[in-house]
Amino acid sequence: MPTEECIRIPGERICRTDKGLVAGRGTYECNGQIYSSVAGMQLKSDKDGKVHIEVQREMKQNVLPEIGMIVTAKVTNVNPRQCKCAIISVETTSLSDPFRGVIRSEDVRSTERDKVEMYKCFKPGDVILARVLSLGDAQSYILTTAENELGVVIALSESGATMVPISWNEMQCPATYAKEYRKVAKVQSDHITQNG
Amino acid sequence: MAGMELLSDQGFRIDGRKPCELRRIQSKLGVFGKPDGSAYVEQGNTKVLAAVYGPHEPRGNIVKLQDKVVINCQFSMATFSTGERKRRPRGDRKSMELSMHLQQTFEAAIMTELYPQSQIDIYVEVLQSDGGNYCTSVNAATLALIDAGIPMKDYVCACSASYLDDTPMVDINYLEESSGGTELIVSILPKSEQIVFLSSNSRLHEDCLNKVLDMAIKGCKDVYLCLDETVREHMTQVSASFSAD
Repeated sequence: MPTEECIRIPGERICRTDKGLVAGRGTYECNGQIYSSVAGMQLKSDKDGKVHIEVQREMKQNVLPEIGMIVTAKVTNVNPRQCKCAIISVETTSLSDPFRGVIRSEDVRSTERDKVEMYKCFKPGDVILARVLSLGDAQSYILTTAENELGVVIALSESGATMVPISWNEMQCPATYAKEYRKVAKVQSDHITQNG
Repeated sequence: MAGMELLSDQGFRIDGRKPCELRRIQSKLGVFGKPDGSAYVEQGNTKVLAAVYGPHEPRGNIVKLQDKVVINCQFSMATFSTGERKRRPRGDRKSMELSMHLQQTFEAAIMTELYPQSQIDIYVEVLQSDGGNYCTSVNAATLALIDAGIPMKDYVCACSASYLDDTPMVDINYLEESSGGTELIVSILPKSEQIVFLSSNSRLHEDCLNKVLDMAIKGCKDVYLCLDETVREHMTQVSASFSAD
């Protein structure tokens, strides 16, 4: 619960670290004191029994994908071993410029992971939900869709219409009724609000 | 330089300042829309624009660092920035050196460990040059970084000082800079008074060093007060418009 709003600027001392206070986002700790590291509003929030002191900018936060976060990505390239994609948003924040991500064939689904055929799971242009598995190598983040809620959310058919999911691995074009294979995400309402 | 006294008998400098006086500082945050952060700083007749992009994924031939962010600085001077109109291609020796100095300065202040495998670009352009290019660039870049919301330990403030007729002089202009005296450039983190950058471009007697250094540090703190005022004003405006929405 945010309370006590006031403007802080970088290098400004906020308080001492005792009394269960922890330096949160936008702050840093030095010699037992908490200092602000960005210009913004000071917030206090309770997290697992400790009071986190945060300084938040009103404008967009600089976000980076972290391990375990759900990201929205657009598929750019598919080959039998992996699928490359551009991460366009992290949780609820959309990124101003995309990060590269890669889904390896064994991370596409949790069952029969050795029998995955990449061309039956993703096609370039699909919008997918994925979880960050690791920060990966120097090139890209490694993503996974091995959960029911993760996978293709929006896909266009060959005729250009947005397809409708009909099962966990098939989508149908509303114009031509042609069926195409995808690793379909079972989108849940809380995910929808998150990515709304 | 006949007929030109850098320090008059009454103790005034060539532009009418006292030895301990800074030039007038005017600054503005958020002057551009496209970059993540931008700022404009005027110190007397030295005018500098700074723009900050990032943190973003490294582009071009920049190698990612696993444990911290890469800071990429580019310093350039406009063709019309000095008295003599001159083409100034980017990447000449002088501006490369200044770019590197800026990079070192900000590596000390930015909390680089927060954004591994990323890159922050700082572009600085001198529109009008009247001495103290480096100092004004640092001050402008600090404001641009604050505008971009990049976490820093503290502001970085820079100021120059010189020594003439047994008097230390702060924030020297082009005439004083080119008169052949010493120019001592200092960048500090004003809250902790840590020096992050110190350079001197000619010889200075050991006995005078402390006096000149103290003068420069005092100048940095005065610069800090000016920048701080701008930032607070900007933040109040931004938060007012934010809460009005």
